[in-house]
Formats: sequence, C-alpha cells, structure tokens
Amino acid sequence: MSEKKPAVYLCKGCGIGEAVDVDALETVAKSEFKIGRCLQHAALCSDDGLATIRNDVESGSVNRMVIAACSHRVMTDKFQFGAAPVVRAGLREQVAWSQPAKAEDTQMLAADQIRMGVTQLSRTETPAPSVVQEFSRTVMVVGGGITGLTAAREAAKAGYPVLLVEKTDRLGGWAAKWSARMPHRPPYRDVQPNDVGKLVTAVQADKQITVKTNTLITRTAGQPGAFAVTLSQGGQETTERVGAIVVATGWRPYDASKLGHLGHGSSPDVVTGIELEAMLKAGTLTRKSNGAPVERIAFVQCAGSRDPDHLPYCSSVCCGVSIKQALQVVTRSPKASAYIVYEELRTPGTAEEFYRQAQKAGVIFMKGKAGKVDGGRMTVTYQDELLGMDVPLGPLDMIVLATGMVPNSTNPDAPAVEPEKGEAQLKDDINPVAPIKVAGYLSGEGKAWPHIDKGVPPGGPILNLQYRQGPHIPILADGFSDSHYICFPYETRRSGIYTAGPVRRPMDMAESAEDAMGAVLKAIQAIEGSKMGSSLHPRVGDLSFPKIGHDKCTKCRRCTVECPFGAIDEDEQGRPVINPSRCRRCGTCMGACPVQTITFDNYNPQMVNAMIEANEIPDEFSEKPRILVLACENDAYPAIDMAGINRHQWSPFVRIIPVRCLGSVTMQWISTALQKGYDGIMLMGCKSGDDYQCHFVKGSGIAKERMSKVGETLKSLMLEKERVTMEEVSIADSHRVPEVVNKFAELIGAMDPNPMKGF
Amino acid sequence: MTVAPPDTSTKYDLDFAKWVYENIEGGDKLALCMQCGVCSGSCPIGVQMDYGPRKLFMMIRAGMKEEVMTSSTQWNCTSCYRCVVRCPRSVPVTYILQDLAAKSAELGYAQKTNENVNFARSFWWSAKTFGRTDERLVTALYYFSFGLKEGYQRGLANLKIALNFVKRGRMHIGLPHRIKGRRQLKAILAKAEEIAKREGLH
Ligand SMILES: Cc1cc2nc3c(=O)[nH]c(=O)nc-3n(C[C@H](O)[C@H](O)[C@H](O)COP(=O)(O)OP(=O)(O)OC[C@H]3O[C@@H](n4cnc5c(N)ncnc54)[C@H](O)[C@@H]3O)c2cc1C
Ligand code: SF4
Ligand code: SF4
Ligand code: SF4
Repeated sequence: MSEKKPAVYLCKGCGIGEAVDVDALETVAKSEFKIGRCLQHAALCSDDGLATIRNDVESGSVNRMVIAACSHRVMTDKFQFGAAPVVRAGLREQVAWSQPAKAEDTQMLAADQIRMGVTQLSRTETPAPSVVQEFSRTVMVVGGGITGLTAAREAAKAGYPVLLVEKTDRLGGWAAKWSARMPHRPPYRDVQPNDVGKLVTAVQADKQITVKTNTLITRTAGQPGAFAVTLSQGGQETTERVGAIVVATGWRPYDASKLGHLGHGSSPDVVTGIELEAMLKAGTLTRKSNGAPVERIAFVQCAGSRDPDHLPYCSSVCCGVSIKQALQVVTRSPKASAYIVYEELRTPGTAEEFYRQAQKAGVIFMKGKAGKVDGGRMTVTYQDELLGMDVPLGPLDMIVLATGMVPNSTNPDAPAVEPEKGEAQLKDDINPVAPIKVAGYLSGEGKAWPHIDKGVPPGGPILNLQYRQGPHIPILADGFSDSHYICFPYETRRSGIYTAGPVRRPMDMAESAEDAMGAVLKAIQAIEGSKMGSSLHPRVGDLSFPKIGHDKCTKCRRCTVECPFGAIDEDEQGRPVINPSRCRRCGTCMGACPVQTITFDNYNPQMVNAMIEANEIPDEFSEKPRILVLACENDAYPAIDMAGINRHQWSPFVRIIPVRCLGSVTMQWISTALQKGYDGIMLMGCKSGDDYQCHFVKGSGIAKERMSKVGETLKSLMLEKERVTMEEVSIADSHRVPEVVNKFAELIGAMDPNPMKGF
Repeated sequence: MTVAPPDTSTKYDLDFAKWVYENIEGGDKLALCMQCGVCSGSCPIGVQMDYGPRKLFMMIRAGMKEEVMTSSTQWNCTSCYRCVVRCPRSVPVTYILQDLAAKSAELGYAQKTNENVNFARSFWWSAKTFGRTDERLVTALYYFSFGLKEGYQRGLANLKIALNFVKRGRMHIGLPHRIKGRRQLKAILAKAEEIAKREGLH
C-alpha cells in the first residue's frame, strides 16, 4: 500500500454549521490526529463540494478521507472517489438533528464523531475481492415438478445453462397426476385443463436444459459459482460443476393413516383428496366398496392440517382443491350434491371468485369442525357454527379427507445419514428454544420443544452437502426449508442454494411457478455475485470477506460452528477454511474468534476497538457519563437515523458505532469499553428466536447467548451487571429509539460512575 | 328466533338443499347466501319468527326439511323487502320465503302448525271470488276454519270492534263489494294456472 494521505472534509450544511462549532472540530482533526488536509464546506454534496474533493484525489494529494457530514446511509453514490477509502462521520442525523444546538455536550459528541471517524479511517482498506476459481454459470434445478420445470425454463430463457435433476423416471411431479387445474387465469371462475404436459414438452425441447431423470444427488461440495455435484443415475456416478442450485423437491402428502379419528380406514369410501384426483382423472367416480356411482359426497377440510397433533400449519391448497373437486362432481351429474365441511375456508385473492362459482353451482358449504366420521354409516357429524348444533350429514356415498402437505426438505427415499450429522442437525435448526450451539458459551440444555419430532420430515439429505455443519439444508420450525419467508424469500441458510415451491411453504401450482422465477433470479444473482467476489443478500456488493490469521488461530472451531451459513469448513489439520462465496459477510465468525484473528479489510476487531478507545472520556467528577451503543447496521442504525430525521432528541452521552450484525460483536470490545471508562454499553439489534428478524438468521441470537455470560466478566471487574444490556430494535422502531436510549442513560446516570475512568 | 334448536337426531334429508335450490323461486340465488345475517338483523318481525331467514337458510343446507317446512318464518314474513334491499349477495329473501310458504302448504306441512295458512286461504277465496277482499267474509271464514266452536268464540270476542267499525263506516252491511270484470278475472286466473302448469311451477 502506498503512503496514506488522509483528509477530513467537514460539511456545514443541513444545520450542522448552526449546531456545532465546525472550526473546533477541524482543530480536533488537525491537532489530535495530525490530519494535514482539512476542509470546511457549506454543502459538501453540492457540485462545488464534490469537485473540490475530486480535485484533491485526482491531484494525488489525498487518497483516503473522512466525510464529516450526513449519515453513511445516504449520499453513498456521491461520496465515492475511485478506490479511495471513505469513512463517514455522522454530524447530521445523530448530532445536529437530534441534539440541542451550540450546547457543550453536543460539541463533545461531534468531536467524538470526528475521533471515531478518523480512527476508523486509519484501520480500513478498500477490499480486494476473492474471486471464485473454476467458475460455472450452470443453474442446477433439483426436482422436476411444476416448480422445477418452471425454474429450468426461466433460467434457460435468461441465458443460463440448466441441469435438471429428477429422482423419478418422469417429469411433472404431482401436478401431472391432477385431473384438472384450479383456475389461474382470468376470470378465475372455472376449473381449467391441466397444462403441465405443455411445460414438460417445452423443457424437453429446450437445448439449454439437460434433463436427468432417475437421478439422485449423492454429494455436493464447493461454493456458489463452483459447486461440485455428484450425480448418481442407476448407480453410475458423474460429477458436474454448477454455479447455483434451486431446490424444488416439492412435497409429500401427510400420512392419512394417522387420521383414524376422521374415519380413515373405516370404509373404502373414505378417501383422500389425492385418491379422488385419480378417480376424477380416470373418469370413473364410483364407490370403492360396491361400484355404485357417487351421488352424494362430502369433503372434510383441514384433515390433519391446522391441528396441533398433526400439522400445525395450513396446507393452503386443500380448500381450493376441494372446491375444484366438488365442482367437478356436481357438473358431472345433475343428481350429485357435494358438501364441503370447513372451519375457515381459505380462498385468498382471486380464489374467492372460484369459491363463489362453486356456491352458484350448488356446492354446499357447511361451517364447522368435523367431529365424527362414521365410515359404517357413511356420515360426517360436525359442529355447525352457524346453527350452533351438531349436524349429521349422511348417508353419503363418499367422504373425502382433504389432507395436507409435508415439505420434501429431506428425501424420504434416501437413507438417513449418521444421526449426529443428519437428523440431529435438523433438530437443532428448528428448535427455537435450544441454546444456540456457541462453542465455549453453551448455556445448558434449554427446554425440550414438544414438536421437534413432528417438525423434521423423515429422510436423508437432498444435496448431501459436504459442509462442516452437516449435510442438510437447514429447516424452520415446521420442517420447511427456508430462512425467513417474508423478509428473505427463497434464501436458505446455505448461500447459492435456493428453495422454491411447497418445500418452502405450502403453495399451489401458480404460486409455485411464480416462486420458481424468484428463486431463479436469486440463483442468477449468486452466480454473478460470486463471479465478482461480491457478497449476496443482504450485503450485496460487499467485496470484503473474512480472513483468518492462521498463525494466531487456536483451532478452537468457534467460527466453524457459529457461522449462520455454514461457510467455514476445516482442513485436515483442523484449521478453519473460509469459502468466500458462501460467506454473507456478517462477521459472526469475527465476533466468535477468541483471539481476534478473523478480520475483514474494512471491518475488524482492531478497528472498532480503536474507535472505542478514541473517544474522550470525561472524568468521574464531570457528571458526564458515557454510553457505548453498538447498533446493528440493518435495522437499529437506520432506526436511529430516522429518529434523528424526525428530530427526536436523546441523551448526548451516547456514542453510537454501527456493526454489521450483533453477531460480529466481540467480547473484547465490551471489556475495552469498560476499561476505558464507559459507564454503560448497549447492544441494539434485531429480534432473535424462532420468529427472528436478524438478517443473518442467528447473529443476534448468538450475540444474546454470548452476552448472557457477560455478567460474570462484569462481576470480576466489580461492576454492576446492568451496565451491559441488549435491546431489540426493528427498522420500524424509530419512535422508540429515544425512549430506549434515554431510559438506559437514566439508569446509568443513577449509578456511580465507572471506577475505571482515568486508568 | 325464540325457539330452541330443533331435535338434531332425525329428520335430515341430504337432498333437501338441492331440492330448494331447484324448486323454490329464487332458490338458486339462495346458494350464494354467505350467512352474514343482514336479513335477520333487518327483519322488523324477526323476533316473531321461529328462525330468522339466515338461520332458516343454513337449516336448508343442513337438510333439516321438517323444521324448515313447518317453520313460522315463511308465514310471518310481512313482505317488507328490507332484507332483499340489504342482502349483500342479492338473495331474494322475500320471494324465497313466499314460495317456501306456498310449497309447504302445497306439500301439507304448513297446516299442521300455522294459523296464517288459514288466513291466507280465506283471503284468497275472497280475492278470487269477488275480485276484492270483504273484511267480514274473510274474517268469518278464517274464524270458522278452526271449527264451529272456536269460530263462534272468536267472533264473539271481536264483536264489539266489528260494531264500532260499522258505526264509523269502516265496514259495510249488505252484499259484498265486487269488481266489475269478474269474468275477466276468472280468465286471468285460469290462464295463470295454465302457465304455472306448463312451466312446471306446481
Ligand atoms: C389433491 C391435490 C390436488 C391439487 N390440485 C391442484 C390444482 O388443481 N391446482 C394447483 O394449482 N395446485 C394443486 N395442488 C397443489 C400442487 O400439487 C402443488 O402446488 C404442486 O405439486 C407443487 O409442485 P412442485 O414441483 O413444487 O412439487 P412436486 O409436484 O412434489 O414435484 C417435486 C418433484 O421433485 C422430485 N424430487 C423430490 N425429491 C427429490 C430429490 N431428492 N431429488 C430429485 N428429485 C426429487 C419429485 O419426484 C417430483 O417430481 C393440489 C394438491 C393436492 C394435494
Ligand atoms: S387450505 Fe383450507 S383445508 Fe387446507 S389446511 Fe388451510 S384452511 Fe384447512
Ligand atoms: S460467520 Fe458470517 S462473515 Fe463469518 S464466514 Fe460465516 S457468513 Fe461469513
Ligand atoms: S342478508 Fe343475504 S347473504 Fe346475508 S344471511 Fe341474509 S340471505 Fe344470506
């Protein structure tokens, strides 16, 4: 690296000039940090301001800088000057807009912002990306149902070669078995012909798509941009290189033999919706018991779904499917009548039109919970909510149980791998109350979670990942392979591997097809991102990646265990090996490392440590306590900025440092702050637990786990444990920020000052 | 809706709803009823019905033929049409009730239970015979439809009112008033009967 030529540019616009003494800030930079080039400007973001900086950079007199102005979250495109590192010291949202103008404490805060900014600059480098070798643009799609077929087609249309792997001998999945299709085109009223065949033909004709049927995946190694996948077709193994993977393995029906209470098994005329599909497709709707035509039919909804003893979730398609089937029954024969017994009919969006159409056609909807299904007398007795009484429906010719969907997040036909690596991995993934396995910080066993066995669909791994953290794609509470279906759809906790369709959540064919497109776009991003060495969601474009100082690494394995994305493997000597394109740059490994030897070019333990130390700590008699806030960049920090934008005010004693994720917070920062004399420390981040909002899935949970141990550290320093706290703040919480901060400041203010001040 | 729910164990007919959908005027629209209860809530005499229209419609779906056909609901409806105006699903509630009344009389359910059936018959006799209603004859016919003794008792009980009516000129003495074109009325009714037969409305 050539000689460092730093500069500090101070902006006086947006009220900064009126709120603080900018000359005094310049003096801080000049005298304390010996920054030669300091410049004040009325509005740095103006053409003139930007031109001034550009001139400095182009003339070679400046090659790195602090812009002391607005938040680092805004004007990022303007304050960018080639490869020169830029650090933003915030004087606007968190100083001028949220503190009283010209006050002594406001000025002290602004000076500290400069100190932290200049210190950060001295420890940051423009990252050099790690680019994947043996790069592949191929998208591998696993599963040839409607989701997989659509994914393959869409990826091919976007210009990417596709490898479609299907374990059976034919394409189409379940959808190919259906008699007809729920309406998916306007006017959304009538049953539509099943058009999956057309999609199968289109995929088979597409030269960009290689279809492999009767094929299973036996091993998957590598990382986005360069996965090495071993395929087994009739025992014959080949290895393919692919760039990203879309998992569209669909679903399996809920085991109806567990539905004895709903009459399953009590008569051959009590069937599942899947069995009825086959009859409707074959065109012979007769009673299994005696071959008589089916004239009166009743559908029992939520058979096994929305039932804590079976599937706790709504399978989402069975309401529409029963409407489809009932409509087919009543239109086949004018004599037929069809009853649908439901608790709540779930017909979102245009499905309401379909529902109405069925009502018009005479399908009769009965609201209530089915109590007893008597296969002998062929009667469904249900608790009618609208009449307030038990109503027996019968005698019927056929009773249909609308059974639900179980995700194929495992492969029921593949052997389960060793429990330690297989099922145990999944159980850990879905157990919201299990202690997160944080090596060295493990906090006992945690409560037993009753649904754990029901949550893991039995079977072997789909991809058999050769990852240190296990062969499975992680799942969520009900067994679905997803990471956060609202905030990060398609994302799994394995970078470059995306799920689509009912393996992710229950959905119908139209939704599945749409889902496939979303997942393909993600897969393409993964391929293109890994080509550039750029991170994926949520730090898209970030070129930094964690580097391990192997000379200092003690092989403690904390990083390999804690990485929420399984990005770190181990070599034969037990040393951690980072797979950069699997990494999402959250820094959780960095927070885990007890010897602080995991670093990013532009974010590392030493940098934040120095920033914490850079601030001026007034002595214990000043009555000016200092509070350190480590705020998650994804939610908490923007919420703080927004609080400033809304001109909320909060305690001037707070010093805020943004962190990539609370998972990246090292215990060393906490002890540094305490030793330096900060009176209180607050970690502000996303919600953890089974309904987490953490952008890195487990980061904030891991931080919480680590912090639960901090009390002991405090005790050994003879400090109150209340001095270190953690607060959940979401992006919508800006109005709460001042309250949260002030309350903590009050608490700290009421305590004696930290006795370590001045040491 | 003052009556307790009917006995649940018997008298269900799974095909009843289908029968209503297909045979009662407006029955096909009844299929669209979403059980919101606006009709029952709007009905000025809902409290004097065995079941409000909403509940009656659900009972139809549940196949409770006996209870529906003998219910007072269809007989006590005053045809104010509030429910029809308000129903969000455009169910012609009043028409359905009217035709349910007609069909329940026709099929012999109604006589068992409801006085309004007798009144309707008396009313119709007068209307079709004279082309208008004669209060005295309608009333008398209605009273004596319950038998000689009860007809006599009812008549006596209302005698004073009747005399007051006469005194104030609200009721006349003498032959019943009749319309002029009774022959045409007869022809009209015969034609209507013929059409109804042809259309299979009976
Ligand atoms: C009775 C019933 C009727 C329905 N009717 C309709 C309807 O009319 N309209 C509608 O929109 N939706 C309907 N649905 C829902 C619809 O079936 C699903 O939305 C659809 O099947 C989802 O397609 P998929 O491709 O994701 O999954 P699937 O159809 O399950 O396809 C998955 C494919 O992946 C393969 N596979 C699985 N595991 C592996 C592995 N490990 N390796 C390789 N390949 C693998 C499977 O063999 C299969 O071919 C119905 C559902 C039910 C239960
Ligand atoms: S879609 Fe309907 S039947 Fe299926 S689980 Fe949900 S509510 Fe029950
Ligand atoms: S913990 Fe985060 S930063 Fe570290 S390797 Fe894993 S994804 Fe990357
Ligand atoms: S108002 Fe109409 S939709 Fe509502 S309960 Fe009455 S008939 Fe049914």
